[in-house]
Amino acid sequence: MSSSAAGKTAVLQNIHGTMEFLRKYPPFNQMDSAQLAYLVEHCQLRFYAAGESIIKPGDGPVQHFYIVKQGQVVGERPHSARRGSETTFEIASGECFPLAALLGERATRTEHLAGEDTFCLLLGKDAFVRLFAQSAPFRDFALRGVSSLLDQVNQQVQLRAAENLGAQYSLDTPLRELAPQQPVACSADTPLRDAVRRMHEQHVGSIVIVDDQAQPNGIFTLRDLRRVVAAGESLEQPISALMTQRPFHLPPDASAFDAALAMTERHIAHVCLVEHERLVGVVSERDLFSLQRVDLVHLARTIRHAGRLETLVALRSDIRLLVERMLAHGASSTQITQLVTLLNDHTVCRVIELVLEELGDPGVPFSWLCFGSEGRREQTLHTDQDNGILFEAADAAEAERIRQRLLPYAKRINQLLAECGFALCRGNIMAGNPELCLSRREWTRRFSAFVREATPESLLGSSIYFDLRVVWGDEQGCAQLRRQLLAEVADNSLFQRLLAANALRHRPPLGRFRDFVVARKGAEKDTLDLKEEGLTPFVDGARLLALAHGVADSNTLRRFAELVRLRVIDAQDGAAYEEAYHFIQQTRLQLHQQQAAQGLPLTNRLDPDSLNHLDRRILRESFRQAQRLQASLALRYQL
Amino acid sequence: MKKLLARFLPARPAVDPRSLRLPAAQPLDERPLARQRMVVVDLETSGLDLQRDQLLAIGAVVIEDGAIDFSQQFECTLCQPGHRAGASTLIHGIAPSAVAAGQAPDEALLAFMAFVDDSPLLAFHAPFDQHMLERALREELGYRLHHPFLDAAVLAPLLCPEAPPYRGLDEWLGHFRLQASERHHASADALATAELALILFSKARRQGLDNLADLQRQAQAWRRRQLSPSL
Repeated sequence: MSSSAAGKTAVLQNIHGTMEFLRKYPPFNQMDSAQLAYLVEHCQLRFYAAGESIIKPGDGPVQHFYIVKQGQVVGERPHSARRGSETTFEIASGECFPLAALLGERATRTEHLAGEDTFCLLLGKDAFVRLFAQSAPFRDFALRGVSSLLDQVNQQVQLRAAENLGAQYSLDTPLRELAPQQPVACSADTPLRDAVRRMHEQHVGSIVIVDDQAQPNGIFTLRDLRRVVAAGESLEQPISALMTQRPFHLPPDASAFDAALAMTERHIAHVCLVEHERLVGVVSERDLFSLQRVDLVHLARTIRHAGRLETLVALRSDIRLLVERMLAHGASSTQITQLVTLLNDHTVCRVIELVLEELGDPGVPFSWLCFGSEGRREQTLHTDQDNGILFEAADAAEAERIRQRLLPYAKRINQLLAECGFALCRGNIMAGNPELCLSRREWTRRFSAFVREATPESLLGSSIYFDLRVVWGDEQGCAQLRRQLLAEVADNSLFQRLLAANALRHRPPLGRFRDFVVARKGAEKDTLDLKEEGLTPFVDGARLLALAHGVADSNTLRRFAELVRLRVIDAQDGAAYEEAYHFIQQTRLQLHQQQAAQGLPLTNRLDPDSLNHLDRRILRESFRQAQRLQASLALRYQL
Repeated sequence: MKKLLARFLPARPAVDPRSLRLPAAQPLDERPLARQRMVVVDLETSGLDLQRDQLLAIGAVVIEDGAIDFSQQFECTLCQPGHRAGASTLIHGIAPSAVAAGQAPDEALLAFMAFVDDSPLLAFHAPFDQHMLERALREELGYRLHHPFLDAAVLAPLLCPEAPPYRGLDEWLGHFRLQASERHHASADALATAELALILFSKARRQGLDNLADLQRQAQAWRRRQLSPSL
């Protein structure tokens, strides 16, 4: 029967009322009235009592698009490690499911249950398909919903950025798409003159020297040619004598960002693309720049060669600008923190070199260590110094002598870094502090004491110092120090348990009834702390599991990846933690950016009401992942 | 009771031939609720006087396949020439101008009965709606309404013995956190009542009452129990 129409004037009241309800949520708020009316007129409204199954894998291909009108739907999947099942997501009023299954014309992979008494609007598949074809906002929404929830937001951010900037590119573009069709290559015995002629003909800045199997043996670039010509070398000799051997390479599915990062790190302008040990392409700095105006390679190089401190100080604002642009271009938080860490590392190295020039060579080799977020490569622009010095000494007397020799350098470096915008550490965790300018043996003793004593102070210390790495200088000593540390932690289950208890200290700010827990009063009223309450549970959890299982990496996401590889955590869980961590970090970076734009002091405190509906929901899910991680730790360590 | 009443009512007008084409009502049977079509109706009237007040608007939605089907809705304002704004105008909000612009009552009622088809009806405080509809159909079309009515106001306390002794629709809607998009609008009230009905049917199924015949029997017994102490 058609939508009945005795005395029909405009839209029927119930259609109208339901449209008004839907207009509060995306994508319905972007759909035009005729399409929205079409949607509502083709809906069923169905009731599900709390606990009732709505769709499940056994139901076969999904036949309806569901919109929660009232109540709450939860996703349940069998628990990976324990008996029973766990809630993997919550779907609240105005939200939709199961998009991926519907578009994929398959059954859902997760059972959807009514979390409480729930009404859902069900749109039949035919009507869904028609709306999908006719409504751009609806289609975009449905397609975004296909990837995971968090991808949705990222894509939204990137789409928005792309729309604003009219740009078609992203840092995630695979290199395969950027490399010119055929790499220019030659054999090892090709005379240099012939090779250069081919470069000239093909308008490229490099040629790759390959063997019979197309495996790259070397690379020769225009920069090398300058050197050859300046040295008056013969152009008739085989190119193998003049090439750079073992050229750096990446797989073709690596991203533009990976290439830019590699170029920045290694000071190279060309990256070979190698697949199955065969050369498949070359990506040049220029290829990246035609795509990516964000000139990070250039910036890194300028930092690395800055002649004076003033130049470094001035470059800091360029870094800030770069980060801003990258965020606007839809770079992920991981990319940004990696980049900031890299540029910060360059700055630290340059400062150390400038101090060595200024004060002269101290005559003792040393390594510059960093701890905390810098050690984890998770720095944002707003960071204070957490650093130390490690050196080798035969005995206590020699250690003391070297310490006294190095301390003036350390203090000067701390001071110059402060001028560059790295705030002095309030806890005095800085190399200029005699307690943090230690020989390897002293560091080892100190770390052992942390593990053995397990006092509140040493637990706090371990959460800072155990995320260490070398920024400048030889890495051997630090690697040895870390090996000893891992062995000691692996042997000490009491310490692990204390670390676990410590990792449960910061609870994600989720209330019993779904909403966020925010500060009740004071200046922080209505806000939550993204760093302490959101990120710290992941950071602490990853550190504990990494230390306990011999994972040497200090980066939180790499720790999770390694823990997945070692089967300490389930791959699905690892992926969920990564996404959640990533999203909270992204939210934090965006918050900082807004604060900076408004000239406000930078804090990690966020009013969740300032987020849009989708972001709020994903933040909630991200905190839930933190809760899950904590619950798994509590179980693992029987807390 | 119905038949008794009918005997005392004034002589009925001639039967409108158009009403002869309307489908006959199906008695309540034992098919499962999920396979039962039913029409949830709400009427707005010029007042609560069963004999004198007029029918001003009809709103109805359909429950079919265990769900409210948005493609089947009935919404109609009736033209009642003598109608003036009264106290109830403030409640239903149907202005005399809207009534004047409404549809001729006979056509509206014919369209509504075609919409109802042979399905049973459900309303909150169903005896009122049933009576007003019976009277209007008789007066306008000479048509005798035989469709069975279920009363949500009885089913609700019957199936939710744990709930407080609510009487009104608003209380029940509040109890289940339901909201009418516009209260005292016939269609919106019908939809809210239908939502309430879906909840009640869900409870009925769990209590082993999965068809309207059983439900109606229980409802009648419940009503008798409620009435007996006061008699």
